[in-house]
Amino acid sequence: MPDLKLAELNRVFLIGRLTKDPEVRQTSNGTPVTNFTIAINRKYKSVSGELKEDTTFVGIVAWQKLAELCKQFLAKGRAVLVEGKMQNRSWETEDGQKRSTLEIRADRIEFLDREPRPAAPAGPPPAGDSPDGQSGGFEAAPDKSDDDLPF
Amino acid sequence: MSEIRVPGLNRVLLAGRLTRDPELRYTPNGSAVCNFSLAVNRRHKDQSGRWQDDTTFINVVAWQAIAENVNKFLHKGSPVLVEGRLESRSWETETGQKRSVIEIRADSVRFLEKGETGPEQAPESD
Repeated sequence: MPDLKLAELNRVFLIGRLTKDPEVRQTSNGTPVTNFTIAINRKYKSVSGELKEDTTFVGIVAWQKLAELCKQFLAKGRAVLVEGKMQNRSWETEDGQKRSTLEIRADRIEFLDREPRPAAPAGPPPAGDSPDGQSGGFEAAPDKSDDDLPF
Repeated sequence: MSEIRVPGLNRVLLAGRLTRDPELRYTPNGSAVCNFSLAVNRRHKDQSGRWQDDTTFINVVAWQAIAENVNKFLHKGSPVLVEGRLESRSWETETGQKRSVIEIRADSVRFLEKGETGPEQAPESD
């Protein structure tokens, strides 16, 4: 039998709440991108049986249409399901130090709050909108520069 | 209809190779903890249609029996499948700067190397 190659597996599923309003900026070639952080709460029992809670903060990045939809429909405190992959991001601080962090590049973000959407009804609903108009979920549009297909 | 509360969903699945030998240590109360770093590869086509490999480096922490098994059976280059959750850790540097890191806390580490001695899957523990 032929040898196997290592599967390409890098998948993350998270549900949490935004810690602040998302902001959208444009890259130098005009691509919209948004960064925000979600807080994920976890309840667990300690060794001594006490009920405890902790919070994990995870940075999310979304591109293109998905970034714009986040800006349009999300705000601090909103709950989202994020599906994506982990990626490194590195940068240099003002004093020249190199830093790097891990963040989630979102492929899909589902908006979990049921309250009516803030004023968006002018024009057709965005692609991917759920039929009941109450909760939304959006997938990243296929991105030619980021094709996952290995063939 | 009953109301839904926000579940704290936090699941990560990764396949990759260890970038260095794992490091095992023990906490003051005797729990085994093992840190290792994974390189997770992805092949994709760039804008000009050429194949590119990009690699994400992810730190993983395993506890107890998983930690012991990782340390015993894995080494730099070993292929593994890791399931776990994201954890963030933050601290203040000596100069008062805030730093934080994200790592994976492993619930399960499967050893993928053929012929690897040792358990096919590290026992799960929490």
